[in-house]
Amino acid sequence: MKTRLNKIFATIAAIGLACVAHAAETVKVGVLHSLSGTMAISETSLKDVLLFTFDEINKSGGIKVGGKSVLIEPVVVDPASNWPLFAEKAEQLLVKDKVAAVFGCWTSVSRKSCLPVFEKENGLLFYPVQYEGEELSKNIFYTAEAVNQQAIPPVDYMLAEGKKKFYLLGSDYVYPRTTNKILKKYLKMKGIPDSDIEEIYTPFGHTDYQTIVASIKSFSAGGKACIISTLNGDTNVPFFKEFANAGLTSENCPVVSFSISEDEFRGLPAKQLVGHLGCWTYFMSIKTPENTKFVNDFLKWVKAPVVTGVSYNVSGVDPKGRVTCSPMNLSRMGVYLWKQAVEKAGTFNVDKVRTALIGQKFKGPVGEVVMQANHHLVNNVFIGETLASGQFKVIKTFNAVAGEPFSDKFLGK
Amino acid sequence: MHVPPPLCAKTQAPVKINLQTRRVRRCVRAFFLASLCLGLVDSRAAAAAIATPSTNRTVLTEAVLAEDSDKQIELVRKLVNAGSESIVEQALSAWRLGNLFLLETNDTRIPFLLEARTDGEGKAVALRLLDGEALKDADGVPIKFSAADLTPVDTTSKLRKAIKTTLDLFALSSPNSKIRRDAVIKLGQEQDPEYLPHFESRLQDETVREARRALHEAISLTLAASEDPVVRDSAVLRLGELRSITSLQFIKNLEKQAAANPGKFGEGTLSATRAAAQRIETYIAFGNLFGTAFRGVSLSAVILVAALGLAITFGLMNIINMAHGEIMAVGAYTAFVVQGLFGGGLLFSVFGKTVSLKGMGWTGGWFDAYFIVALAVSFVTAGLAGLALERTILRFLYRRPLESLLATWGVSLILQQIFRHTFGSANVQVSSPSFLSGSFVVHDVLFAYNRLFIVGFALFVVFLTWLLLSKTSLGLQIRAVMQNRAMASCIGVRTERVNMMTFAFGSGLAGMAGACLSQIANVGPSLGQRYIIDCFMVVVLGGVGNLVGTVSAAVGVGVTDQILQPWLGAVLGKITVLAAIILFLQWRPNGLFVTRSRSLEG
Repeated sequence: MKTRLNKIFATIAAIGLACVAHAAETVKVGVLHSLSGTMAISETSLKDVLLFTFDEINKSGGIKVGGKSVLIEPVVVDPASNWPLFAEKAEQLLVKDKVAAVFGCWTSVSRKSCLPVFEKENGLLFYPVQYEGEELSKNIFYTAEAVNQQAIPPVDYMLAEGKKKFYLLGSDYVYPRTTNKILKKYLKMKGIPDSDIEEIYTPFGHTDYQTIVASIKSFSAGGKACIISTLNGDTNVPFFKEFANAGLTSENCPVVSFSISEDEFRGLPAKQLVGHLGCWTYFMSIKTPENTKFVNDFLKWVKAPVVTGVSYNVSGVDPKGRVTCSPMNLSRMGVYLWKQAVEKAGTFNVDKVRTALIGQKFKGPVGEVVMQANHHLVNNVFIGETLASGQFKVIKTFNAVAGEPFSDKFLGK
Repeated sequence: MHVPPPLCAKTQAPVKINLQTRRVRRCVRAFFLASLCLGLVDSRAAAAAIATPSTNRTVLTEAVLAEDSDKQIELVRKLVNAGSESIVEQALSAWRLGNLFLLETNDTRIPFLLEARTDGEGKAVALRLLDGEALKDADGVPIKFSAADLTPVDTTSKLRKAIKTTLDLFALSSPNSKIRRDAVIKLGQEQDPEYLPHFESRLQDETVREARRALHEAISLTLAASEDPVVRDSAVLRLGELRSITSLQFIKNLEKQAAANPGKFGEGTLSATRAAAQRIETYIAFGNLFGTAFRGVSLSAVILVAALGLAITFGLMNIINMAHGEIMAVGAYTAFVVQGLFGGGLLFSVFGKTVSLKGMGWTGGWFDAYFIVALAVSFVTAGLAGLALERTILRFLYRRPLESLLATWGVSLILQQIFRHTFGSANVQVSSPSFLSGSFVVHDVLFAYNRLFIVGFALFVVFLTWLLLSKTSLGLQIRAVMQNRAMASCIGVRTERVNMMTFAFGSGLAGMAGACLSQIANVGPSLGQRYIIDCFMVVVLGGVGNLVGTVSAAVGVGVTDQILQPWLGAVLGKITVLAAIILFLQWRPNGLFVTRSRSLEG
């Protein structure tokens, strides 16, 4: 009797499973973010928000292709902050897993290292983190802020505030160097003489900012000076400590940081950063119904993370003290833009999706974005002032700034 | 940061006396405490304040509630002459620092401050900005808030600047000479002739030298912008005499204009600006020299503090301890834990189990004392960690340096992972006690307190080590064992025990170094990795087995680095230092000071 009952249950279960399997046609999508190593602190948040977005889409019925709804099945790999490994993992995603699209990369060097793979295998990569531009691959869509969307607006703002001297301080790698090169040209166009621009780089993990702060102190002695900082990661801590100890404040010498978003704030002493500025295309503090929903849904999701409809086991999501930030928002919008393009093209074919992506519009948490033919977004840009809570208060908005990767286009040679 | 109770807080007592005894008691207590805090009660002023909320307060409240930030700035400017009313100053600075809050109900918005005094839960009575009365709920009980739960009234940098200017004008008559001086410098920069009478009148009563100098500077700088060539030229010359660094930029611009447009400015201006600029530049060059010297010494002290433990374990004992950096991190995390115990408690996980420790909840001076305690405790914890390392692993490897290198490297990886599991992979925040924040200035050279502390600490630790090695019997035994282990053992020195003690002492020093460095660097799992190379570099350069060598090498590396940095930049400067060390070791492979002993040569 018992065995028969069991058999019946087993059959029912099997039928049930078959039904589920039949209803849920899935498509594999790659997530290429470091989950270990130095970059894990930043990149793990992007993996989290991508899984959250897949869950959002699957819950609302998946992607509608050719009259069917297709659910997203994530394939998460860990390139471990190791740049050559990014290329290997990208190849694995494209050749072995045959994913329809890949969302990933943080540092420029990781993007550069897997770019040839995407071009060779004709894959599709969505890149969400502010970068230096001067690159355009037909296989990459840059939802990230280009230089003219993140670096130029705050410089304009500082010029308008009457700042006449600019101290460009950065970590020593490709993004700060390229950005500062462009900014120097731009400042010269705006009539700032070379003698009033200082350009300084420090190695990763630098802790001794005495000399630099002393030089900033004399640089700003006559007033009207500001600092454009592309310092990365935790080097900001010794810098801002030394800065505050020297009696410099956001009132006599404001710092605009390009690499500090809400997420980075979790590891920084907010007290010493109060009043300094940030520039992004999204702030968690912006009050719109869409953003409130995004933030609330995400904070709810991290407490019980799942990807609905597919058998993927979500792990490694830290539920404590979570925030949303610009790279996270851009990651999420990338997924939606891709989804819309797939629905428009009616197929996952990369070439067709690519064509369909151009001109695709999406109403994001803080305004509508449009994908341009140059694979960059038209997006709103915000300058925010840091509050003690680790949030930003928007003090200036630039609407619909068209991202442009090549500096000679917006600098005019 | 807490705001001292506004003056009017104490005025509520007389009014409420007839209403309710319970509340009266509370009010009287508030009255008593407030008067204790302020030291005096002026009953007449109190009576006046009950009658009408002061106009300044009304203006201030209006300014806080204004929607438009230009309007806010205008209202704040209006308060320039309200400096004598201390509540205005308190409220303005509270606003600027984000300690002013808004109570929003359906149709009213009430700005309020929190009383400085907090109860056991960290909550404080809310005092209305308009009249200083405590905010009450429907039952008439004062509402209490915790500052951490409230969102401060927003400010923009422009508004904060306006608040700062107003506060600076108040500050011209502040009892603290440093505050007066900063305010004068700030206002002088604006070169606004409107401030001249304020400066002049201040100069009459000013007695402190620095503040007088700042006043002269501000007056001359303001006059230097004048259209009258006689006034201008003499003001410029005066600025040169004062060696005013802050006005150099202005003088140089003036020089450029005068050179380009001699008709408008005349010969006098040109020669005056040239002379003044030259004087100031010479002064700056001297300042840079001394500044570089101090920064060099301070960097040397940092390296020395970090390397001294290694100078003992590697230098004297010849153990290549790759886990030295992680022992430092043990000390740094100890400082973090002690900070948590003194303050608001902390949360960490030990092998997956979350441990929550309740803190003492101290603030102010008691909390700041955590750092001194942390230094001592970190010596103990890191010493114990070193002891454990020596007992379990290193004692089996004393004659096998290569194996000890590999083993300790493995230990360093294990320790890093333990830190990640316990405290998370992100950095933890170790705050600076107030006595280590800030700096003072001598002849325009900046001396930061935390840097001075580290220099002093380095001297102290070197002295301590010297005392131990040369004045105690343990020191004698250590030296004996290090020079010739077999012979020392023969004459009855317990070499095992001496090894153990020496290694624990070296590790303890590393731990203190870690706690000390938490003041200037990040505390995270990779803290050790950042310093290990510098440490080995200094010990090897100084000559293995020689403390004097380590000290001189640290000073050499630190000062050279700081001298090169302004010319070559941080990256190239570091490369040059490393290259120079390699070349030096080619020339003298045994380092600066060579220790001759039989065991080392064997």
